[in-house]
Amino acid sequence: MQIYIIEAILLIFLIAITCAVIFCKDILSAAIIYSGFSFTAVLLYLMMGSPDVAFTEAVIGSISTVFFVASLKTIDRWCK
Amino acid sequence: MKEPFGGLILNVAFRLLVPFTIVYAIYVLCLGEYSPGGGFQAGAVLSVGVLLSRLILGENAKFNVLGKTSVVLAGVGTFIYAFTGWLTLFGGAKFFLDYNYMPIHMEPQHEMHALGIFLIEIGVAICVMMTIINLLDAIVKRGADNGDVE
Amino acid sequence: MRGLVAVLLAIMTGLFCLVITYLPKIGSADTAPNQHVTPVYIARSAEDTGSPNIVTGVIIDYRGFDTMWETSVMFLAGVTTVLVLTSNTMGRKPEKDGEEGEVIK
Repeated sequence: MQIYIIEAILLIFLIAITCAVIFCKDILSAAIIYSGFSFTAVLLYLMMGSPDVAFTEAVIGSISTVFFVASLKTIDRWCK
Repeated sequence: MKEPFGGLILNVAFRLLVPFTIVYAIYVLCLGEYSPGGGFQAGAVLSVGVLLSRLILGENAKFNVLGKTSVVLAGVGTFIYAFTGWLTLFGGAKFFLDYNYMPIHMEPQHEMHALGIFLIEIGVAICVMMTIINLLDAIVKRGADNGDVE
Repeated sequence: MRGLVAVLLAIMTGLFCLVITYLPKIGSADTAPNQHVTPVYIARSAEDTGSPNIVTGVIIDYRGFDTMWETSVMFLAGVTTVLVLTSNTMGRKPEKDGEEGEVIK
């Protein structure tokens, strides 16, 4: 079972982005960082050879960021 | 998103983007058999087009779906899918979605398969697009009703 | 109790790391799922379904019934989310009086 070195870097980057989203106090910036998560997932899917899933992930990632930002109107931006 | 936001630069940039988004969605829908893509992706890209045009022009956008129409059309998309299956059953198929028994007869048999696949992808695209617009409507309306957070 | 759980977790993690080297390679042709039905799809997809893309052929033609319920599940999920978000009772500020809630405006 072989894992390419760039794949390992991307996986570690994925975990780092998730930790950043969890520990972020500003919800708006958490939503923006989360779009970076989906972009990294797109790169991983492309590397595994499934352009179908990568395409879907790219489109849905961009839409869900808009949803998160739109739903910020109902809640407070900073979590205390 | 009752009223538009953004200045001159955003307006011009998004105005350029929307037609290309629609054309790309149609391309993904029609040629999904040959390349990565298909109904789901085409619907999502179409909903991105609607979203962008709403960001520019608000409620007055030309390429827009308003009100309860989106809920109805989401159901219609699912119905198109199921109705294709019923069409094959009316033609005498043994099981659901057996495209060899489509009521329109075409000579090389996989042409009928291509027609059935195209019908189904149209249904999936409409359903996905309208569901995403539904969700956006619900979130935006909830934000507008609640007003500002104290 | 907590120490026992920690020891058990450590043992399971060690076993996992030991065993994981015996898993087959990603995309290997010798595994069971790649030998049973995949060669049939690869060989007959083009003439059966008429689409050059095998993924489209499998998703929409061979397993079309599956995809139909997938689509209807997504439709139901969307409608349910809209109903929950636009209902008047869930965590909203009190409405102005004399205003009936509409499902979608």
